[in-house]
Amino acid sequence: MAQADSPPATEFAIETKGLVKQFGLIEALRGIDFEMRTGEFLTIFGPNGAGKTTLLSILASLAQPTAGSARVAGYDVTDSDPRMRRQIGVISHASFLYADLTAQENLVFYARLYGLDQPEELALRALEGVELSLRRHDKVGTFSRGMIQRVSIARAMIHNPSILFLDEPYTGLDQHASLLLESQLKKLKTEKRTVLMTTHDFGRGLEMCDRVAVQVKGRFALHLTREKIDPATFEQLYIDTVEQVK
Amino acid sequence: MNSYLGQIKAILWKDFLTEYKTRELFSSMFVFAVLVILIFIFSVDLSLVNSNEVGPGVLWVAVIFAGTLGLNRSFTLEKEDSGLQGLLLAPIDRSAIYFGKMLSNLVFFLIMEAFILPVFMVFFNIDLLANLGPLLFVLLIGTLGFSILGTLLSSLSSNLKTREIMLPLLLYPLMVPIAIGAVRLTSHVLGGGELGDMMNWVGMILCFDVIFLAVSIMTIDHILEE
Repeated sequence: MAQADSPPATEFAIETKGLVKQFGLIEALRGIDFEMRTGEFLTIFGPNGAGKTTLLSILASLAQPTAGSARVAGYDVTDSDPRMRRQIGVISHASFLYADLTAQENLVFYARLYGLDQPEELALRALEGVELSLRRHDKVGTFSRGMIQRVSIARAMIHNPSILFLDEPYTGLDQHASLLLESQLKKLKTEKRTVLMTTHDFGRGLEMCDRVAVQVKGRFALHLTREKIDPATFEQLYIDTVEQVK
Repeated sequence: MNSYLGQIKAILWKDFLTEYKTRELFSSMFVFAVLVILIFIFSVDLSLVNSNEVGPGVLWVAVIFAGTLGLNRSFTLEKEDSGLQGLLLAPIDRSAIYFGKMLSNLVFFLIMEAFILPVFMVFFNIDLLANLGPLLFVLLIGTLGFSILGTLLSSLSSNLKTREIMLPLLLYPLMVPIAIGAVRLTSHVLGGGELGDMMNWVGMILCFDVIFLAVSIMTIDHILEE
């Protein structure tokens, strides 16, 4: 049983080949190829409508690709294997939280869904991690956007995933919440977790990543290691890349 | 490892807790069911017709109409701030999501019925207590079928913009066999008849319950995807 539950041996934490996604006549992804080793941090920049969220949805097994293949933690995403979903955590614009439940109840619910022992204790620890333990008995519906996002971070991390998908996690966050998220991401990096983040924030996106990709019109128009990028000129490089593809 | 039953229990716990805090579902279903009964009471002269013949139909119309309100809310709640995506990301079987929602709907419907039965008894002047056992059995198998089919169609229609319209349009035609059987059986037991005399109707309802359950299990993966 233990052997069946352990992830398949694989060189890459994430691997995609010719990933295509069509919504009717619209091609959201037009052949995405990349690999990420365990512990790598990849930031994807791109204009709105470039297909970044679609890519993350497919990798998180929330959507099926039209063509091509993708493997996450060694599992084919089209199989939607529960063992793969156990390995991943997702933070996006949507919080996946229930407004009528308290922060603590939301996290206990997710801990139970993941079959974790001592869900109450885990929920409390997770809320302490995002500095919200004092508000744990308050309904999430009464929280500010920044606080909701902090609970969302706790939710995504409660099962200790090895791979994180972050879809524009800084959207709507105040300064304090942004700093808190930043410190959480730095912690993830030191813990050697694989992180795939999409963002429009150049400063934060470049700060922690090992590699950078610019996605335009469903394709990686640029894919470089962090060392090859000068933060001072990246904005111009990004604009030129996007203009070139358009 | 997370057990299948544990996953269903987690969803049930979340739904009951939400309902306990808001009481949105129960209050709207109960008030609507009472209104349906009242409308029929005012439109039918009970001195001219036999209550036992009209009453069961009214009872099931109230249950199905009021239950549709609850079904509409059931998956809409999961769509708010993408709660359903949170469920789909969890390492649980898609059918566990269906069973969790279906069982919570069933319990909510049964609680609503427990509250509208006394109202029905008073307004239609029918002694339910004399035949309570068989009546509860009929309510259980009929409501089970309604919950099985309703939860499946609620998950399907929750993706549509016109979900409030589409759910009854899809649900009511498919509910016809169960509704006819349930009304016939209710009328029979309220008239003092034995359930054993109507086993063909009991069998038919149970048969549809099983068919709808099998269809739900086979299709829920595709319905919940994307």
